[in-house]
Amino acid sequence: MRPVIKASLHYLALAVVSVLWLIPVYAMVINGFKSDLEVSSTPVLVPPTQFSIGAYVSVFGSLAKPLLNSLIIVIPTSFIAAFLGAMGAYFFYTLSYSYSRFSSTLSDVLFSLIALATFIPYQATLIPLTRLIVDMGLLDTYAGIIFAMLIFYIPTGALLMSMFISVLPRSLVEAAKIDGTGDLKIFLKIVFPLSMPGFISTLIFIIIQSWNNFFIPLVLVTTPEMKLISVAVEAYTGGYGTLYNDTFAAAMLASIIPLAIFIFLGRYFIRGLIALGGGGKGV
Amino acid sequence: MKKGTVILVVPTALFSIILLYLVLWNAGVSFMNWSLLNPTPSLVGLETFVSVVRQFQFSNSLVHSLELSVSLVAIGNILGILLASLLYFLKSNGARSIFMSIMIYPLAISMAVNGLIWLWLYNINIGIDWVLTKIGLPQFPWLSSTSTMFPSLIVVSVWAYTGIAALFYLAGFMNIDKAVVEAARLDGAGAFKITYKLLVPNSFNSFVISTALLFLFSFRIFSLPFILSGGTTNIFLQTSVLYMYYLFTVEFFSDATAVATIITVIATIVIIPYALIMIRRWIRR
Repeated sequence: MRPVIKASLHYLALAVVSVLWLIPVYAMVINGFKSDLEVSSTPVLVPPTQFSIGAYVSVFGSLAKPLLNSLIIVIPTSFIAAFLGAMGAYFFYTLSYSYSRFSSTLSDVLFSLIALATFIPYQATLIPLTRLIVDMGLLDTYAGIIFAMLIFYIPTGALLMSMFISVLPRSLVEAAKIDGTGDLKIFLKIVFPLSMPGFISTLIFIIIQSWNNFFIPLVLVTTPEMKLISVAVEAYTGGYGTLYNDTFAAAMLASIIPLAIFIFLGRYFIRGLIALGGGGKGV
Repeated sequence: MKKGTVILVVPTALFSIILLYLVLWNAGVSFMNWSLLNPTPSLVGLETFVSVVRQFQFSNSLVHSLELSVSLVAIGNILGILLASLLYFLKSNGARSIFMSIMIYPLAISMAVNGLIWLWLYNINIGIDWVLTKIGLPQFPWLSSTSTMFPSLIVVSVWAYTGIAALFYLAGFMNIDKAVVEAARLDGAGAFKITYKLLVPNSFNSFVISTALLFLFSFRIFSLPFILSGGTTNIFLQTSVLYMYYLFTVEFFSDATAVATIITVIATIVIIPYALIMIRRWIRR
């Protein structure tokens, strides 16, 4: 085969896969801009002939509060989880200095725990979690949802940051240790600033995960006032005979923030995913 | 160890211990008989497990969960290798990262929203079937037939999660010494031969990571079948986590915790060895 043909086939295969992969987001973007009239006459894969924001206007009223609620939850959750996780990760890093039996057992146990918290089907803690939040008097409060999310996302932060911190050169920390600097100070002054790209990856990963978390707000919110966007869109499931432009407009409003983050800072999210899998050299 | 050092780990340890407490509390209740009908629970040993395991819905939903995970692991790994090798042989780094992003983007959208979108794409009059009939193919029933419902769920999961496998295989391929690949190419090996003789056999780590992550993610998929089936009671789409949530909503609390315990045990069997392999490789170098 001639190289030109080979290269074109190569790109053709990738283009076909990309088109297939992009169909859902294409449907989401075009259908939110259809007018009610056009919805009843066109299928979902045909773009609108006229551009209408009617559907966005009609769903925004009921989604504005959930969007705000999600922001109020996600911003503190992600910053706290990524920062406290980073602290924990530096502790693992210092543990790996001493090769004593005790510290290696301790690090195995702690690391298993944070991995459990990261990967467990968190739905399985439904009943004790609900009870804990109710007993703390935090049902239907921002604090309750944030607390519940931190149970899972601080360990996630620690796991991801462990991967990023482990690639820092030892000599930097060694030098500070010899000067008698405490570990807390070393973390704040040296390790944290140096692992800033890793911190951003961890932060973005947790923002997207917590924004999209469906189950925790589903069980810990019982009043419509406190609904988060991930759960609020469920009202637009519809069924046959309902107008789908509303569904897609709601879907778009719920996805616009994570999608925008993914489009502009996607490389950080991807590094976060790689760290989740156990790192790759120099992530 | 100094006090300042210990303070570093307190938040992580505290929240991890809360999680452990939740898991153990859950396991404890699964040995009781707490439900709406019985508000003052007492210890009953394995009785709850025995009665739960005998339910049709339990085995039905567990089989669904395992089928979903096994299908996703199998399809995800195969497609992941194919896509990663297509990306590996691209000359342009820019093109590679754009194609990679297109395969990963479903993970940036919530599964609930993905479910909403796919509900309409699966509509037999105006969804994908409209295109199929336009080009003269027969309609596919998707969610409107009980036999194609579950495969339709697998299709969405494959679309959502295959990017992970492609990403880890690509990372694995990129770690293989370029000089070796070049030498093989000079010896006249084609892209296909390089992939299955050189790249794939040297990517065992990628295989382990993809398999573990695809299994763990698919095992806990909740919102996708929840939205696609419009609730928790559709037995053709009910997975273990959905069934557990259903038991909770009808207030069979101990039954729900028993299912949750079984789910946790299955996930833990994968998580702990995986975590210990990861720690040995990356933290203690």
